[in-house]
Amino acid sequence: MSSSLIVHEMVEEAHDRPARKKKLGVLFWICVGWLVLNFIGAIFANVLPLEDPLFQNYAVVNAGPSLHHLFGTDDLGRDIFARIVFGSRVSIEASLGSMLIGFGIGAPLGMLSAYRRGKFDSVVTAVMYVLLAFPAIIATIAVLSFWTPRSLLKIIIVVGVASIPLVYRVIRGATLNYSTRDFVVAAKVQGATDRRILMKELLPNVAPVGVSFLLIGIATVVTLEGALAFLGLSVNPPTPSWGNMINESISILQTNPWLAVFPSLAMCLFLLCLNFIGDRLRSHFEVSEGKI
Amino acid sequence: MTDHPKLLVVKDLRTTFATPSGPLPAVGGVSFELGTNETLGIVGESGSGKTVLSRTIMGLQPRRNVEVTGSVLLKGFEVVGASEKEKRSIWGLEVAMIFQDPMTSLNPVMRIGKQIDEILRVRQGMDRRAAKARAVELLELVGIPSPAERYGVFPRELSGGMRQRVVIATALAGSPQLLMADEPTTGLDVTIQAQILNLLDSVKEQMKMSVVLVTHDLGVVATRTSRIIVMYAGRIVEIGSTREVFRRHRMPYTRALLDAIPKVSNPSHSRLVAIPGRPPNLLDLPTGCAFAPRCAYATDICRVQRPRLEPAEESGHAFACWNPLPVAEGALT
Repeated sequence: MSSSLIVHEMVEEAHDRPARKKKLGVLFWICVGWLVLNFIGAIFANVLPLEDPLFQNYAVVNAGPSLHHLFGTDDLGRDIFARIVFGSRVSIEASLGSMLIGFGIGAPLGMLSAYRRGKFDSVVTAVMYVLLAFPAIIATIAVLSFWTPRSLLKIIIVVGVASIPLVYRVIRGATLNYSTRDFVVAAKVQGATDRRILMKELLPNVAPVGVSFLLIGIATVVTLEGALAFLGLSVNPPTPSWGNMINESISILQTNPWLAVFPSLAMCLFLLCLNFIGDRLRSHFEVSEGKI
Repeated sequence: MTDHPKLLVVKDLRTTFATPSGPLPAVGGVSFELGTNETLGIVGESGSGKTVLSRTIMGLQPRRNVEVTGSVLLKGFEVVGASEKEKRSIWGLEVAMIFQDPMTSLNPVMRIGKQIDEILRVRQGMDRRAAKARAVELLELVGIPSPAERYGVFPRELSGGMRQRVVIATALAGSPQLLMADEPTTGLDVTIQAQILNLLDSVKEQMKMSVVLVTHDLGVVATRTSRIIVMYAGRIVEIGSTREVFRRHRMPYTRALLDAIPKVSNPSHSRLVAIPGRPPNLLDLPTGCAFAPRCAYATDICRVQRPRLEPAEESGHAFACWNPLPVAEGALT
């Protein structure tokens, strides 16, 4: 009884104390570090001292991990480590590119809808729900199987367009939460233009939600690339991608399990880090939200 | 300046919302005037239309399903029917507003100083440095201790009363002539309420502006307003100088509101006085006086015909009642 009272008082005190920073934790920064490492690998793959991911060395096929071939080689004697690093380019390009499309169109539309309401909102929301009604994965597969020859750009466009309604829905919901608050009305009666209210008042409030959804979106696209590759709908071989590599490993899983393990591990760690960061950021911002 | 001596002239203002169950006259024909450097109190129960009235005067209403007729002249600017773009020229600079809940009327992710100097830079065309200096000045004016350091804090780091002070500072940034305060103390502790009201009073004097104080608490308006409007069901039922309304009110509803204020002198455990019945349903207003069903003095005519605002003895004092309280009986000490 008395101890809970004390706790309560302490919380009250903490509330009044200004400028206290919350910590995100070591694991968070490890995850960030891992992602940064992945990005550096993807960007500088050409310059890094890696083997040619396409060079087939028939002297060493299906080799296990060794000093020379860190993660071993595949059935054509290609270096798996080099292929994973180069393969991350496809995953990262596909996810960033499609999210650029998804957020570039979905986010402004969502904010505008939530702010303006009325007819504009009704029409755009209706269109988005029609798009949402298509099962996104099946629609993506269908479009990609007919739209040949396949290229990374086409995958980005198709996945990006498919993500627009999802982004729209999340951003619209988050904006609605704020657009009805008094500070928006207050800005309005201070003479702020609609543009100003959207950019200065609403965007900074919606951004945390947007960022955590962006991370989830990136993770989803990375998985989706894997799924598409599994169906043979990702970039054409011999270009390495994580999905392609896992797909290729299936046929020789018994003779060379390493071939499946490393790309899967790479994808798994990448996704884990993304999700963890997204989660962490969300709770980080939600807590401060609760104190308002 | 214009040829209007009055800062604000409201004529037969009506705000009607279109609802699925029919038109809802939230404000049903309100007329009054407000001079410069005057404080006007608008009192009434929840749902009496005082908030909608104050928002309509600002020109703030939903984009759809609302019809506003009548006239609101603010320094010669006709608010009714003006586009948002036109209204933007008076918003902030001629008229500003402070809100009920200081928790939601500040942007949670913007430093409080920024929220003030944004307005100064955009609306007054000040440069960064001048705006910051002025923002700190305004923070000091509204009684924020060590304003220069508080300039950079976020709203969540301040208490409710401090936040309301910041809200007032943002409202003052455009040096408006008219400040609309919609229940500015409702969300605050009683001890803070008086501070905020005193602050409003002092900034009103310093900046030579007029204040419209919307509240349901007669105690709030008693000492700080020069005139009072009592609203019921979207209409003015009594209007007059604060002194007259408190001392010589004629409308039974005003009396009922005054009686509902708990008095310290009452013996302990005495029952709180309440007004019997409920506020009327605006969708289905009686043909007569809207207060008649709850009024102890109601007669037949009250239920048939709506009383009009009749002038009382003192000029400027008017009331809408068929059976006004006798002057002597209305005396309240």
